Amino acid sequence: MKSPLRPPVAIGPPGRRATVLAVAWAVLLTGGCTVANSGSAAGADTVQIVLPEEPPTLEPCDASLTATGRVVRSNITEPLAERVPETGELEPKLATGWKQTSPTTWKFTLRKGVTFHDGTAFTAKDAAFSIDRTLDSGIECNVDGYVFGDSEITATAVDATTVRVTSQEPDPILPLRLSFVEMVPTSTKADSRVREPVGTGPYRIDKWNQGINLRLARYDGYWGKAPDYRAALYTWRAEGSVRAAMISSGEADVAVGLAPADGAGDHAVEYPNNETSYLRIDADKPPLDDIRVRKAINYAIDKKGLVASVFAGLGRPAGQLVPDGVTGYNPDIKAWPYDMKRAKSLIAEARADGVPVETEITIIGRNGIYPKAAEAMEVVQKGLRDAGLRVEVKMLDVNAWTEYLLRPFPKDAGPTLLQAQHGNQAGDAAFTMEQIYGSKGAQSSYGTPGLDQRIQRAERAAGSERQTRFAEALAHQSEKVVRDAVLAHMKGIIALAPDVTYKPDSASGDEMHLAEIHPAG
Amino acid sequence: MLTFLRRRILSSAVPLLVVVLGVFFLARLTGDPANLYLPLSATQEMREAFSAQHGFDDPLLVQFGDYLAQLARLDFGESLRTAQPAAEAVLRAFPATLQLAGITLLLAAAGAVVVGSLAAYRPNSPADRIAGFLSSTAASTPDFWFAIMGVLIFAVTLDWLPTSGTVGAAAWVLPVATLLIRPFGVLVQVVRGAMVTALSEPYIKVARSKGAGERRVIFKHALRNAGAPTLTVAGDLAVGLINGAVVVETIFGWPGIGKLMIDSILQRDFAVLQAAVLLTALTIFALNLLIDICYVLIDPRVRQGALA
Repeated sequence: MKSPLRPPVAIGPPGRRATVLAVAWAVLLTGGCTVANSGSAAGADTVQIVLPEEPPTLEPCDASLTATGRVVRSNITEPLAERVPETGELEPKLATGWKQTSPTTWKFTLRKGVTFHDGTAFTAKDAAFSIDRTLDSGIECNVDGYVFGDSEITATAVDATTVRVTSQEPDPILPLRLSFVEMVPTSTKADSRVREPVGTGPYRIDKWNQGINLRLARYDGYWGKAPDYRAALYTWRAEGSVRAAMISSGEADVAVGLAPADGAGDHAVEYPNNETSYLRIDADKPPLDDIRVRKAINYAIDKKGLVASVFAGLGRPAGQLVPDGVTGYNPDIKAWPYDMKRAKSLIAEARADGVPVETEITIIGRNGIYPKAAEAMEVVQKGLRDAGLRVEVKMLDVNAWTEYLLRPFPKDAGPTLLQAQHGNQAGDAAFTMEQIYGSKGAQSSYGTPGLDQRIQRAERAAGSERQTRFAEALAHQSEKVVRDAVLAHMKGIIALAPDVTYKPDSASGDEMHLAEIHPAG
Repeated sequence: MLTFLRRRILSSAVPLLVVVLGVFFLARLTGDPANLYLPLSATQEMREAFSAQHGFDDPLLVQFGDYLAQLARLDFGESLRTAQPAAEAVLRAFPATLQLAGITLLLAAAGAVVVGSLAAYRPNSPADRIAGFLSSTAASTPDFWFAIMGVLIFAVTLDWLPTSGTVGAAAWVLPVATLLIRPFGVLVQVVRGAMVTALSEPYIKVARSKGAGERRVIFKHALRNAGAPTLTVAGDLAVGLINGAVVVETIFGWPGIGKLMIDSILQRDFAVLQAAVLLTALTIFALNLLIDICYVLIDPRVRQGALA
């Protein structure tokens, strides 16, 4: 039992206690300074960009990952050719021209006088090496899975400025696929990934303070026109309203990936971001296996209302998965009109024929797939309930949701509608159709032999015939298969400070060219 | 003392093991990371190759055995997302959190002792009522709201402070203030309560009757005795802060362990998650040990028990 009279216990002499405290403060504060001083102040000749997340890596063969690609592509490294988003045409970059010399062979003529950031010249050997490294090195390049799939491709340096690329099967869009392969020197490691690559682009990596910021510096030996800014400073903030606030407070010039609610105000610039939102109808299970029910679902969704209210006007109602500018886009396919009367009568008709329309249908949603994702699904649910269907919504996180998105699908799921969004950043419907609508496509729960045939025929075609055939396949899906309910071609928001000009296009989400950002005035 | 330490270390080994086991198995129940890391159009062969390369195709127990063997060699594996050693990512993030937590707790405790003692000195006086109102408001303010309001008012409207980031001393103000407000509110109430009790104890009367000055009575006699409950609550708050101030780290772009853990959960970056949880658990264990030692030092009753 403690005696109340007993003097308090001292931890140590007061002097020593003070020293301990002072040391603790000093450690914390000097430690604080290590974090605090590791950034660098940006001047007027530096463009400051705030991203939603830090790039996981700057490995060029992962450039199809948005977080990596928007920093790397055509800033640090460059491809042989680049797609112009407005026209869909390829324009020369590190290759000045290309020619198909046989159905399976293409020859690329390389630009002369190009050097890498380490001073070495860019030659055909580097080009062949970069293609091999991306496709065959076993380092799991994202570009390989995204663009090439299981196609077998060989690249050979014919002379210093000519590369021959051969595919096992005829490939009419091989140059488009190769526009995803960024060029690196042969000195790059072939059997492992690099985090900080050497490229030929207008900017080189100056300093990457991991977790804090990434600074690029203008490369003086660049072969093309020098960009306006001497340096670019990337920072990242996960919270959209903070990214928008950084523009208002003058801490950043460009803020990427904003939502309407982030409050960018007058600084906000809207642009069509290449994404199309849709619901995949898993048409292999009743009642969704009846085309009248699938049509009714399309009629029962008020897409105009959805875009105007939930999406805050950021989008336009759509009837197909590919937007204008992508090879295969069919201007004749319109968004399904909102027609509740029609929807109800189709459901009634199906019910009369014994289709179990009272079976509960689950909408599998994904939180954050686009702004107000859950609200959008509630609007859809209301429409479908009004039409006479029993619908529940289940919102999941991304990993749980991909179990439903990709084969093999969960077996005991019952009839489902999947909330999805598709972005065709490659610019050719081949990157949409097979995987989403093919009977065996990785993201496809239902297909028909007729649609499969049309897709395969289109994939083999080139030029204007390719456009016609893909457009026809899309029309067939929209009229005869009705495998989904397309909602809208979406728009994105970036915010710009008054002292910069930049015109975002449909590719800006995936690659943001620093050379296209200019000081205002 | 050594026996006491040994006993505490041994009794903490079990929860630590449970944490390691739990994180390993629970994380793996949440789906195949191949779906997240490979492009949607990747072929089945690519998916299988990915799983084989990272050992996800082995039975869970084999994977766990490999993990333990790696741990024994202090190898924490490689991040799926960045292909960097997981330990590197964790050791980079942890100091940022520790600095933030340390400064916050010191300021909160120092402020709470002053305000709480003043409030307790004359219970129900206007000063006490104001302190009570402010501390309960502080203790119940949602931190994300406070943070966003702070950014809007002090960065956007008044332009006094940067919105976010870690560059420069001014960048610390909003994160520390956001993190501080709740612990401060809670601690003021605890200090006040403990001081009111202590000041009504007989030994205070004895001290006063022996002619001790008021400052000495409050800071030397009463505060020392109010220390134990304050330490308990402060320890709890410290554990919360070290676990990562996820909201503050997310809003202010602070590269700390909380954000790293949340990201590695969302991205199924198992190696980073495991390393982060292990390091945090060890730190919390060390912190609890430190708090126990502090008890021993400030409260002779505990000391007698510990040394027995």
